[in-house]
Amino acid sequence: MYARKGYELVKDLANGEKGQLQPFNEDLFNQVVDQCTQHYLELQALIRKMHEESVDVRETRNADHYGALIHHLSLIRNKRCLMAYVHNRAEIIQSFAWKVGLELLELPEEVQEKLSPSEKNYFGKHSAALQSYMAEVGIDLNVDMVPPKDPYIKVRVLDDMGEGILLSDKTANLARHSMHFLKRTDAEQYIARGLMEELTG
Amino acid sequence: MATEESASVMDDYETLISTTDVELLKRAWRNEKAAPEILQFESSLVQRIKEQIELAEQNVEISEANNIDPLTVSLYQMDLDRTQFLLRSYLRVRLQKIEKYLFYVLKTDEYLNRLSKQEQMFARRCTDDLGSHLDETVLAKLPDNYQSILKQSITSEEDDMVPVPRLDTFVICKAKQYLSGLDFEPEYSMEITEMERDLLTFVCYKFIKKPLENGKIDLV
Repeated sequence: MYARKGYELVKDLANGEKGQLQPFNEDLFNQVVDQCTQHYLELQALIRKMHEESVDVRETRNADHYGALIHHLSLIRNKRCLMAYVHNRAEIIQSFAWKVGLELLELPEEVQEKLSPSEKNYFGKHSAALQSYMAEVGIDLNVDMVPPKDPYIKVRVLDDMGEGILLSDKTANLARHSMHFLKRTDAEQYIARGLMEELTG
Repeated sequence: MATEESASVMDDYETLISTTDVELLKRAWRNEKAAPEILQFESSLVQRIKEQIELAEQNVEISEANNIDPLTVSLYQMDLDRTQFLLRSYLRVRLQKIEKYLFYVLKTDEYLNRLSKQEQMFARRCTDDLGSHLDETVLAKLPDNYQSILKQSITSEEDDMVPVPRLDTFVICKAKQYLSGLDFEPEYSMEITEMERDLLTFVCYKFIKKPLENGKIDLV
């Protein structure tokens, strides 16, 4: 059936958990692109046939016209599916810049593997645009993601972070499993990257 | 008598509180969060808030240096943190809206004019980046007549590939004063005729777009 593959591609996207990325489905994606080319060839063939039979392409409503129309519509539908696939993935990638970090290397490896080269490139460029906006306004927008209750929070370090990391009011030795009482704005970036966890209660 | 007086004092107090910049920012932030489309950027308000934040930061530093009671300082700090959160969140919500309706914002002058200069720059850059990403991944692989990023094919008369903010979603709002039919767009005069002050109302966004822009309604 025409445009079935495009539907599968979008389904692939919809089946994933919200906000989570699936690996880029290169295989299916290319099949849909190939289908588009195929539709176009058949569309052109039908139009050529109408020309050869010297009927008015614009006005005639014969079988060939409707055949061509079906190919045209299938092509458009496929295009919409392809665009929706890439665009929705791009939206998730944009959200990484907010939720995880602005550098590609900050993204966990398993996420990086799921991106296509063009998507990696896009993530970098988008982060750069965000960064230049923040520099322009003079406000760091990547901290303070949840409304602050208390300026200080208790955290536990989950990973070896090395010594001498500079926090805004002191340097701390953030050894693994150690617990600290830090400024929220300092700790948030590490929590986002999974290097610390907030202790509540 | 006494209760009446204290009520009027409370009223005065509330009007005073509700006109501080922080309160205005809170209102702008709430509206921005709830509205489906991007609203006018509050440039002078944001400017004032930034200055106040700077001042508060200096105050906290001075207090810390002067060994003022740490509890007092931490209260100031907390107040400062909250204001900063509001400002950041306000700017963030706007950027996220721009990200979402990128192509539409950029091709609609009305929207583009609502952005701050920095937001406009951001929007332009993003459009270029996302555009070239889509080009590279999808459009370049399609037949010639189907390569437009705004149109489905060259036979489309309008830009029918662009996600548009949905103005017919429902929002919850509260009028700041009694609104008569004159406050609403004439074309919706059949749907909405009046609104009581302070009454929570669940309504289609486009009906209350005009009074919202005129500052007569707040979204919740």
